[in-house]
Amino acid sequence: MRIDDASLRRMRAGRTSRILVTGGTGFLGSHIAAALLGAGYRVAVLARSAKTLSARARMERLADWLGLDEDARRRLAVVEGDVLEAGWAAAAAEAGGVDEIVHCASSTAFAERKRAEVEAANIGGLRNVLDFAVRSGCAFFHHISTAYVAGRRTGPCPEDWVESAAFTNVYEETKARGEVLARDLCRREGLRLNVYRPTIVTGDSRTGRTLRFNALYFPVKAAVYLRDIYLADIRDRGGRRAAELGIRPAEDGRLVMPLRIEIGGGGINLVPVDHCVAAFMAVFEDGLDGGIYHIASGAPTRIEDIVAYTRRFFRLEGIETRGPEAFAGRPRNALEVLYDSYLETYRPYMQETRSFESANAAPMLARRGLVCPAFDYDVFARCMAYAQEVDWGSKLFAR
Amino acid sequence: MPRIDPEAVRLAAQCRHYAMCKIDYLGTGLCPSGPEKGFVTYYPQGRMDLVRGLAEGRVPITEALLGSADTCTMCGVCDGQCHFVTGMRPTAVMRALKDHVAEFRRGGGEIVRPVEDEPLRRLRSIVGREGASNDPAVLWTYADDPFPLTGPRPPRYVVLPRSRDEVAAVVRLAGELGLPYAVRGSGGSVFGLVFTDGIVLDMARMRRIDIDRANWCAAVEPGVTSFDLQQEAHRHGVRVNAAEPAATVCGNIICTGTFSTWSHAYGTNLDNFVDLEFVGRDGGVFRLNDRDIPNPFGLGPPGTPPPGVCTRAFVKLHPVPGGEEGILVPFEDLDGAVGLARELGTRRIGSAVAVLGAHYIATFLSPDEALAKALKEALPEALGIRYGVLVIADRFGREAVQALAPAVIDSAMVRLLMLGLPRLVEPRWLDLVREWEGRERPYELLARPEMRPLVEAALQPSPETAAEAVPDALRPLYREVYARPEMTDLVWLSAHRIVSARMARHKHVLAFLVYLPPDRIDVVREVLEGFGRIAEAHGLDHDFGFLTPMDLGKRAILEYDYYLDHTDPAEKEKAGRALADLDPWLADLSRRVPSFLSLKDTFAQGCVRKEIFLYRV
Repeated sequence: MRIDDASLRRMRAGRTSRILVTGGTGFLGSHIAAALLGAGYRVAVLARSAKTLSARARMERLADWLGLDEDARRRLAVVEGDVLEAGWAAAAAEAGGVDEIVHCASSTAFAERKRAEVEAANIGGLRNVLDFAVRSGCAFFHHISTAYVAGRRTGPCPEDWVESAAFTNVYEETKARGEVLARDLCRREGLRLNVYRPTIVTGDSRTGRTLRFNALYFPVKAAVYLRDIYLADIRDRGGRRAAELGIRPAEDGRLVMPLRIEIGGGGINLVPVDHCVAAFMAVFEDGLDGGIYHIASGAPTRIEDIVAYTRRFFRLEGIETRGPEAFAGRPRNALEVLYDSYLETYRPYMQETRSFESANAAPMLARRGLVCPAFDYDVFARCMAYAQEVDWGSKLFAR
Repeated sequence: MPRIDPEAVRLAAQCRHYAMCKIDYLGTGLCPSGPEKGFVTYYPQGRMDLVRGLAEGRVPITEALLGSADTCTMCGVCDGQCHFVTGMRPTAVMRALKDHVAEFRRGGGEIVRPVEDEPLRRLRSIVGREGASNDPAVLWTYADDPFPLTGPRPPRYVVLPRSRDEVAAVVRLAGELGLPYAVRGSGGSVFGLVFTDGIVLDMARMRRIDIDRANWCAAVEPGVTSFDLQQEAHRHGVRVNAAEPAATVCGNIICTGTFSTWSHAYGTNLDNFVDLEFVGRDGGVFRLNDRDIPNPFGLGPPGTPPPGVCTRAFVKLHPVPGGEEGILVPFEDLDGAVGLARELGTRRIGSAVAVLGAHYIATFLSPDEALAKALKEALPEALGIRYGVLVIADRFGREAVQALAPAVIDSAMVRLLMLGLPRLVEPRWLDLVREWEGRERPYELLARPEMRPLVEAALQPSPETAAEAVPDALRPLYREVYARPEMTDLVWLSAHRIVSARMARHKHVLAFLVYLPPDRIDVVREVLEGFGRIAEAHGLDHDFGFLTPMDLGKRAILEYDYYLDHTDPAEKEKAGRALADLDPWLADLSRRVPSFLSLKDTFAQGCVRKEIFLYRV
């Protein structure tokens, strides 16, 4: 090992660890960086610049959003760069060396048509960061992976390496390959390695705040968009187009929007970001020997429940879940085609019956009394209220 | 001299000389004085030039200038015609011209009256008093043309012959007086570069079209525009391969040989006509098909002049297959798009075929520049469409395309997108499409017929929605225009070519055309990259235009465009330097790639057999 236990503990206790967080402007990356800063660590984030904003400006905007205090900001450095390119390594090294890396940068695209982009990020990008870890004297590599490296495996999924598996999509496949890549290199080079495997991360369970509105949010956002279109059609143009799809106003300003969503059994495993980050910090601080850690909810949320929450929160009627047999007699209408086409990608995650074992993570979480909050109506409502407040992300940084 | 409103002058200088104010393509009628007087001076284009000339002190106040100003009725027709393709509204310039003239009159200024010299007197004896002029204001309106890097270069005389015999007489007189001459279709020329220090023959008064159905042929005089001929053919239930709408048919045949997206089925050069009639340099009349003339079908070195002044073209008429519709096959990659176009060429499917880039698609579809810009970004970024293959085909052809292509945006969806375009680029809708994670590409989903009601609801397609893209004052006109079915019909739009003039909307355009073998995708890429690289090196806007398969997909014609503000000397200089870099690169490609050829090497040789330059044996 590049670093012995005592030195690591000393470095951590003295908060002298210099930690590089990749994907620092991303959803999880920024939250983890904020948590590390909150715990007193020194953090450098690797961040890309955007069209009109430098990496630093993006990070400052995020620091405001995350509510970082002055003290935390003083311990935050920004390294501009893209994990896909090699140019940032020198800048990162110049910034004062790195003791630990938290690798969050990743592509979460699923579509096979995006394979090249996903492989570049999840394999090529990881390789670049690992190369840098080896050269920079980094002693501890924290790899953010996903519970879905389990692929098509059914039943209990252990906190263990996935050596060979069938995968649902390019995301799972590349994340699984990435874990093995990290493992082999860290073993060879004597780096400690923690692999964190969250399931699907949603907004904060207490505030609803989030930086991303994909995954769970997208179908809800689409429903709201459609609701608004048809409300406008009914209000301004007599509702002819709404009527074509059986969409009609109901009492109290509600809208009936007939939409059958095909589901199998099971549900969706959702982890609010506050729990995800707290769990990460617990493992980060206690899991010094290296290991694999699931960060999952004990009880998947049923799709029927999410649909019911959507109906209630957005004042929509007519959205229902149905088994596959319901579509044999009555073919899908335009709304259903849209949802079916979209959810096809997510279907494996919507009928979750697996359990993600947590023998490794559970004791660390238990010690801190951390329990993943249930994704109930209140949490849903907070998440969606925030989504609406920031117009599904477009006003995220509006003053 | 009173000062002219600088904004009007700026606008006047932006005239691209595309002559869209000389054809009634919106069905709103023409500027009344233009057809009556014949000279371009009395069209909005001429008035734009006059205001620029006045501001620059290049034009005195003459009788013709006063006449041009006085005959403008401020009817506003030119606003719609010009805005539709360039986004400009010339009535502000017309107003400035009229105000200037009124002020001149109030000040009692002196009118410049040119003297009728001997050549003019003799020209008038041929074409009539009203058909020839040496008025400096008239001459000034012939000093520029659509080529953005030349001009102004006014001639000494402009004549408006009415017949072949008058053309012959003018040519003979020019020879006798030792005066050079140049021929312009209806005031301008399609590609530009038609200047002379002597006599300009403006063919605007020779506009006869005789449809000969038995011979599938239209006898066309040299003042007839492509739009007018296509419209006339349309009335007879047939069609021609048309060039740019305001270009004259004869001028286009001579200049470049007619090429278009329809060259897929109708070819180019000789394929488009049965015969041509010329007045030779000696004033004698001959036909291209005459046996006793020097062979006109062979390719001469670049710069070879045409055989004479074309006074009539016998243009081929083509049958129109029943049930034709226009569809768009979207692609994320160039290889797929070119592959399909070539396949359609090989299999003889469809009447018109063209690979278009996102820039062309966005520009053609959008009635407004800002909308075009937003759409140009949205097509690849949100919808995944980098290229689209436009296909005009009957039902059988469309079924074949459906079978060959992964997704097809059919004519109904195209219409719907055109009429709902302002909504298509709304951020909320684009966000949804952008974040689409489904297995299908966004455009594949969009193309599915089941999605139509939803797309309709989202875009609210209607003439009213489409008109939202333009300034308030023009909305009533646009609502009317978009309510006409042909204005959203890809078949009509492609056959009449009226939206292609939009490519010069944001800036003036330099179009480069090359012939190449489309099965050599490496060559296609090299050509696109090369044009792009040279434009970038000189800081010019640039974009891929189109690629159309020809001769059963064995060859293709490709257009690439450079954009420049022709009123900015720095931009003109950059373009000049870019042209100098293009020449050796194109020459090298011609040497390396069999059958690669730049159209500039066949310029003014539209009578040449295409086989001579498409194949080198």
